[in-house]
Amino acid sequence: MTPETTTVNNSQTTKKANPIKAFFKRLFTPKERIGADAGEKNNWKAWLYLAPSLILLAVFTFYPLINTIVIAFLKNYDYTSQVSEGFTMDNFGVVLGLVGKTGGSDIVYKWQCIYNSVTKTWSYVSGAGSVQVYFQTDVINYALPNTLIITFVTVPVSIIVSLLISIGLNSIKAFKKLFQTIFFVPYVTNAIAVGMVFAVLFDYQGIINFIFNLGAAPWVDQAAPTWKAMIALCIYIVWHSLPFKILIFLSGLQNIDKQYYDAAKIDCAGKWKTMMNVTVPLLSPQILYIMITSFIASFKEYTSVVGLIGMPSTDGGGTKNMYTVVYYIYDQIKGNVGYGAAAAVLLFIIIMIFTAVQFQVSKKRVYY
Amino acid sequence: MEIRLKNLTKVFPGNPKKGIPDTIAVNKMDITVPDGKLMGLLGPSGCGKSTTLYMIAGLLEPTDGEIWFGDEDVTELEPEKRGIGLVFQNYALYPHMTVYKNVAFPLTNLFLEERATTPDEAKRALIKRDYAVKFAKAKEELKALEQAGNKAGCEEKKAEIIALKGQQELDIKDAVIPQNDSQGNPVMKRRHLTKDEIDKIVRETARIVQIEPFLERKPNQLSGGQQQRVAIARALVKKPKVLLLDEPLSNLDARLRLQTREEIRRIQQSTGITTVFVTHDQEEAMSISDEIVVMKLGLEQQRGVPQEVYNNPVNEFVANFLGTPPVNLFKGQIKGNKIYIGDEMVREITEKNVPDQECSVGIRPEGIVIDEKGSFSFHVDRILTMGRDIMLVANHPFAKSNTKFVVDSFVKVSVGDVKASVKPHKCFAFSLNEGKTRII
Repeated sequence: MTPETTTVNNSQTTKKANPIKAFFKRLFTPKERIGADAGEKNNWKAWLYLAPSLILLAVFTFYPLINTIVIAFLKNYDYTSQVSEGFTMDNFGVVLGLVGKTGGSDIVYKWQCIYNSVTKTWSYVSGAGSVQVYFQTDVINYALPNTLIITFVTVPVSIIVSLLISIGLNSIKAFKKLFQTIFFVPYVTNAIAVGMVFAVLFDYQGIINFIFNLGAAPWVDQAAPTWKAMIALCIYIVWHSLPFKILIFLSGLQNIDKQYYDAAKIDCAGKWKTMMNVTVPLLSPQILYIMITSFIASFKEYTSVVGLIGMPSTDGGGTKNMYTVVYYIYDQIKGNVGYGAAAAVLLFIIIMIFTAVQFQVSKKRVYY
Repeated sequence: MEIRLKNLTKVFPGNPKKGIPDTIAVNKMDITVPDGKLMGLLGPSGCGKSTTLYMIAGLLEPTDGEIWFGDEDVTELEPEKRGIGLVFQNYALYPHMTVYKNVAFPLTNLFLEERATTPDEAKRALIKRDYAVKFAKAKEELKALEQAGNKAGCEEKKAEIIALKGQQELDIKDAVIPQNDSQGNPVMKRRHLTKDEIDKIVRETARIVQIEPFLERKPNQLSGGQQQRVAIARALVKKPKVLLLDEPLSNLDARLRLQTREEIRRIQQSTGITTVFVTHDQEEAMSISDEIVVMKLGLEQQRGVPQEVYNNPVNEFVANFLGTPPVNLFKGQIKGNKIYIGDEMVREITEKNVPDQECSVGIRPEGIVIDEKGSFSFHVDRILTMGRDIMLVANHPFAKSNTKFVVDSFVKVSVGDVKASVKPHKCFAFSLNEGKTRII
């Protein structure tokens, strides 16, 4: 083909092109290949190769994701019949304890109600008289605080502990492989099974009470106060989240040039200073990765409560005092799915904000 | 600070099970580096020069022998206690720190020992009283100036008052009583350097190595030469007694190498630090060292002033290693106190009587003069123009390796057979024994 005919062909195609068609053509053409013939011809192949994973993602990720957001805005959605009573924002209000219900099914907002500090009840005064209003407080009182406590206790503690362990593992010579294996074992064991073992350890007749000579102190059963159950829960979560972090940190440590440590020695830096000024900054990409993933994971903490306590309540069993956000969401399957969906959307927003903040902070702190 | 290595040996253990023998990296080194001098350790890669340097630094433990810094045996001493500065081959600048922090880092680890003191309150009160009088006087003068409407005078007076305040603070700080313990001995206390002190030293050092404009940059934003100067600054900043440089120029391009090696020399001479410099580049070592040590396979071959070593190599290895292009080697013999290559007499030995023997003859590339009446002939294959001079790539039936000669660019040579005479002091004869020692 001569150069002249090519130009004629090109001008013809551009004339004929339908703007919508052209848009999709552009969309499915890799950036660097826009305008190149080869790219446009073979592009369907790339989509074919991507199809299996895209279909799975669409079915199990994108559809549920969008559907959850939709359900969060539907009133009294019934997921067997898929019928609802139309659009509403009240699901969020209920989850956050701002929207309450009277004995009937009337919906009342908190700012319309009066609080009686003696009987500790909320009541709504209308023309027909005063009625008592019930607010859902599981999320505000238990699920959200518990989740935040778990996140801000277990994530920093487990990162620091795993960093110290991996630095230790990296510096020993004898039995290195053996110790690495030992520290990795928790990762391959089931969370529920480990939770049950911890439940036995923290039983009132368990080994923890025996070792620390605490008598028959309850930790994880019905008699345990919330703070004790939280301690046991946090220890369990930290323990179970260590191995993956150790693995990542070890691989990061092995990539640090030994010469920096020689340089630090020449520069008279002590061991602690070398760790804080050389090891940690050079490990910062791994630390950021671990921080973001484990923040997200601990916001979604749920199996640990099931594994360790088996139900969302200790402390007499009257309240859902061991709820986490995801546990609450899970429990709504039996009740109003809309509340669960609204809580899931709220959790999603919280996680997104935290992740964005971490990325912002990391811009200054992380050296790649 | 003089560095003395006594019988220094380093053996890297092999693995007898797998049949890997021990490696003797450094074999009984005895070297003294005089105070304030620059010593170049020179040798091909794997000759143990870097190992020697790391042993001096304390990063490697010698298998045998001693290392002395002046009157102190430092063989067992930790590297951080030796007071050395080390510039690594690839600089090992901390990538996450700015240049400023890199240079300041050693200082933040240093301790300063000084006399413990307590404030002298009586004296301070006196100082304050004196200054109160001065302030009152200055303020009165200021008022008078204001009333007179002298603006320039006012500004001047205000500046004077500010200076006076600063002086007062300094004076109050100085009013201290040195502390003594119950026996009357002075009490010493250790402290870290303050930020201001560190800043002052860092900026001073940055000025010496000329990195002031880059202080706020990260190392990866610098060129190789700039990084190298930062590495030197980091090594110099704590005022080490000994500066060690491990092939510091190997990452630089030719022009920068020339420039920085002169800079190293300048910095070394201006600071007067005893320096050991490791390199495989003989030109580099010869151009800046006060003394060079040529090493081969862990053994010291020759030591001396660079030009002396170049002019009088002790053996074929040293002669071959020093000089670019390397010395040209030929099969030859000595007959009747004359050196022959084939039938051609290249040098008459006048200094001493040498028994007749087979030998190997080395002629430096610059050691010939193109001369129609010359006794030495060779075939020129190619002529390479180098600018300042020209290189003849030649071929000779008795040559042991590639033969290259360098002659002035105005000399007329053409490809083909050429006759030349050999400069006697550029022509060596080496014995054929194991050490290939020099005969003449």
